[in-house]
Amino acid sequence: MKKLLLMVGLSILALQAQEFNAPMQTYMQALSLEAKNTDSTFNGFDAKRGETLFQSKHMGKKGVEISCTTCHTINLKNNGQNVNTNKSILPLAPSVNTGRLSDVKEVEKWLRRNFNDVLNREGTAREKGDVLSYIITQ
Amino acid sequence: MKKIILGTMVVASLAFSGSVPVVADALYQKECASCHFGYQPALLNKASWEKVMGSLSDHFGTDASLNKEDHQAILSYLVRNAGNGKITTNNDTTRITQSAYFKKEHRKIPLNVITQKEVGSLANCMACHTTADKGSYSERDIVVPNYGRWE
Ligand code: HEC
Ligand code: HEC
Ligand code: HEC
Repeated sequence: MKKLLLMVGLSILALQAQEFNAPMQTYMQALSLEAKNTDSTFNGFDAKRGETLFQSKHMGKKGVEISCTTCHTINLKNNGQNVNTNKSILPLAPSVNTGRLSDVKEVEKWLRRNFNDVLNREGTAREKGDVLSYIITQ
Repeated sequence: MKKIILGTMVVASLAFSGSVPVVADALYQKECASCHFGYQPALLNKASWEKVMGSLSDHFGTDASLNKEDHQAILSYLVRNAGNGKITTNNDTTRITQSAYFKKEHRKIPLNVITQKEVGSLANCMACHTTADKGSYSERDIVVPNYGRWE
């Protein structure tokens, strides 16, 4: 009985958390395969690692310190602002902005650009998967 | 009489120089207005647009790269609708804000008005030209933040 309650409880939690749609799941699986191929110790994406990466500062493309939070803020449910142009950016959190992380083409394009701006290189499969695993929980 | 006609012509040509055709391409609007205002194609000449589109992965210090297909479609939209008016004359840079005509028109704006956070850069057309998205840059629609109407 206790087990059953726990299971019901867990599945309600799972329902409340956002989930990737089918095309995004396929994309995540491809990233996962790529991560495994380049690193045999890889055993799954980690939202916590993604959060740390998201908040960490780097010497970016412009040679000044920058992080993902510079434009998206530390609270992904808030509006952000593009540090280069002052244009406001709608929240990244899918819980308040349902269109986020729903279109693979959009996600690939922005991860390529944003990793280049922040890390001065493209993200690895693991980094991309980690960061997406973090954002989807927001 | 001649004077009135002349006067009318001058006003008409000024008004014309202050307006450009609006952006009429959904892909351009989606891709090139995500970080800033969507500059109308007539604001740069063909050569300038080709330069802009040739260096998107290092676009004014940021990565604005596109996939091949979208890149080709946007380049062709820009080239087809590139400008040849005053604002594009002798501009061989990738910036509208570097054209001689643009610089002349904006030379009287105090620096602290440009650097304030509501504007940030002269590239932020919409901050002062309230109808820039409708292709209109005429003086009567200019409201400079914390400065008021420009007259
Ligand atoms: C220089 C500012 C800037 C920085 C720094 C930045 N981003 Fe972004 N990001 C943007 C803009 C602009 C968009 C697209 C605007 C929009 O869709 O509202 C965007 C979109 C995204 C998207 C697309 C979401 C979707 O599905 O629509 C993701 C994912 C993302 N960013 C992740 C990141 C990550 C991870 C980092 C750090 C490596 C980062 N961003 C750093 C400006 C930035
Ligand atoms: C990832 C963000 C981003 C995207 C996407 C982007 N731009 Fe930009 N763009 C910038 C930044 C940053 C500047 C420099 C702004 C400044 O100096 O204030 C800029 C400036 C410009 C300028 C010069 C403005 C001036 O000073 O006269 C032009 C022209 C321009 N962009 C065209 C485009 C076109 C065309 C596209 C689509 C292919 C595009 N941009 C997409 C970030 C972006
Ligand atoms: C800080 C405010 C500000 C910004 C930002 C700004 N402008 Fe202007 N602009 C003005 C003012 C003020 C004038 C009128 C100058 C005068 O007549 O003394 C003007 C004049 C013009 C004119 C001439 C209008 C006419 O009727 O002859 C054009 C065209 C123009 N701007 C285009 C642009 C474009 C394109 C951008 C963005 C790339 C831009 N401006 C950004 C303030 C601004």
